[in-house]
Amino acid sequence: MVLLRDGMCPGLDEGLVRGLRAADIKTVEDLVSSDMEELAQRCSVSYKALFAIRRVLLAQHAAFPVSGADLYEELLSSTAILSTGNPSLDKLLDSGLYTGEITELSGGPGSGKSQVCFGVAVHISHQLKQNVIYVDTTGGLTAGRLLQMLQAETSNAEEQMEALQRIRVFRLFDVFSLLDCLYGLCGGGLQRASVGGGSVKAVIVDSVSAVIAPLLGGKQNEGMSLMSQVAGVLKTMAKDFNVAALPLLIKEEFDLKWWSRSKEEGGGAAAAASGKRKRDETDS
Amino acid sequence: MQRPVSSFSLSPGVKVKLASAGFRVTADLLHLSPPQLSREAGLSQQEALEVLQAVRSDGGGGASMSALELLQKEGELKSIVTFSSHLDAALGGGVPVGKSTEICGTPGVGKTQLCLQLVVDVQVPQCFGGVEGQAIYIDTEGSFLLQRVVDVAAAAVRHCSLLVEDEEQRVAMTTFTVETILSNIFLVRCHDYVELLAELHLLPDFLTGHPKARLLVIDSVALPFRRFEDLSQRTRVLYGLAQQLAAIATRHLVAVVLTNQMTTRLRGNQSQLVPALGESWGHAPTIRLLLQWSGSQRLATVFKSPSHADATIQYQITSDGFRDSDQSACSQPGTSC
Repeated sequence: MVLLRDGMCPGLDEGLVRGLRAADIKTVEDLVSSDMEELAQRCSVSYKALFAIRRVLLAQHAAFPVSGADLYEELLSSTAILSTGNPSLDKLLDSGLYTGEITELSGGPGSGKSQVCFGVAVHISHQLKQNVIYVDTTGGLTAGRLLQMLQAETSNAEEQMEALQRIRVFRLFDVFSLLDCLYGLCGGGLQRASVGGGSVKAVIVDSVSAVIAPLLGGKQNEGMSLMSQVAGVLKTMAKDFNVAALPLLIKEEFDLKWWSRSKEEGGGAAAAASGKRKRDETDS
Repeated sequence: MQRPVSSFSLSPGVKVKLASAGFRVTADLLHLSPPQLSREAGLSQQEALEVLQAVRSDGGGGASMSALELLQKEGELKSIVTFSSHLDAALGGGVPVGKSTEICGTPGVGKTQLCLQLVVDVQVPQCFGGVEGQAIYIDTEGSFLLQRVVDVAAAAVRHCSLLVEDEEQRVAMTTFTVETILSNIFLVRCHDYVELLAELHLLPDFLTGHPKARLLVIDSVALPFRRFEDLSQRTRVLYGLAQQLAAIATRHLVAVVLTNQMTTRLRGNQSQLVPALGESWGHAPTIRLLLQWSGSQRLATVFKSPSHADATIQYQITSDGFRDSDQSACSQPGTSC
């Protein structure tokens, strides 16, 4: 989906780009998927030259296959398992949060999702001495509560301050700011946020539904694509930078009549992006 | 990584034109000038300029801070005292500034009374431990009674003048009178949800022009939404409303107080009183208070709070306002003993 520009590869000059544009070939995708012979005739270029350009572009833009064995090796050497600080939760999650994966927390109101996230953030920053990024979209984060939890782990004030410094907080309230933030993190923000020798090991988003839910359903058609983008960038961040991503969703009780009307609002699409799920059930 | 153009906050028409011209990722746009872009994508000059500005401003998500800096900032913010010491203790000092608090309860239990008390309490001078801010009261029910506010304000002034100990407090009392209290309350009357949403859209500009505002009361947020026919649209609107209120509370350092009504939920053969507007609304406010009757005693329960455990306290409504319940046996509720 990259636009064709002159100088992209040898043989692709201004004149050829203009000729291709006139033949309605604008992107690399268009060029690679069109018929070479017909195109060569229409743009009055030699078939060989066009074929060579196509091969170079494919080599530049295609993904390379990796063998399963190499992938396994890489996984063993780069994945870390982060304990959440709660032994029974660790047992449920198969010893903890895996970096390179998205773990989703969903639950009803007041069920304790934010509290679990505070606990995870405090544990990672204090015990594991690694950095955490906390994206707060609801205004529910109080540093006083984080301090309270730290005070239960250690009474040394300096350690508490150091642990608090390793937690980076972003406060934003709509989906475009969230996308700006996540893309910014992917584009170098994660390195900048690494403080005191450690690296960012977890990204917590509290909560993803708060910013996406206003856009789903009704006559709006952007909601689904923005939701998929958030999921995509979280997944890429998790894989490429070896962090554990932890988005929070809410759980709602649907009554069947309303659910069938709003079935196309894509309740399942967000879940498909996350590898592991954990539910907090409220009994009310 | 490549960022798609559709992830920016641009109008859908512009996005469609950019996509059909082949511009899918930001890398395609970065080296173009506005006239070039408007020619290639068929956009107007203004639109092309906006697109390039959006794509180039790589803010990285805006300001971030470490949790330590956040702790220091929170230390500077005071809470709004409610004049009921038990409730203040349960809330950790009072209604916190910068967060949204919901008060739900059955009719007549005292939600509006608590709101009127807060509207006076937010103006208590700082030397008395108050926040010394202005209040905005959005009234959707028509339950704002001026005479009651005068009574509560007069009681608060009397209370503070009894506490005066030094010169600074004496000077502060000259500006803390019933007239100044009333002049620092901004009252807005909204009749339906459209007016409420419009008011909230205009509020950020208003708050920028009134930096001393520290309290926003919406009494009640439930009434305009109870007559909605399309429930899924109502949920969407409420989610958007919740995010706007969270943004206002955080960016302008305002305590947002919302009043909610109660509704009945049927589970099999049993019915239960629950806060209105559905479970999805339950995620929106940060702190939730439930006011209810227990026999002839009024109780307040904190049932959602990120920093304090759930607690139930007793209170009473007197002619002076919202106060702690008298420990000495007082047979009639609502009278001051």
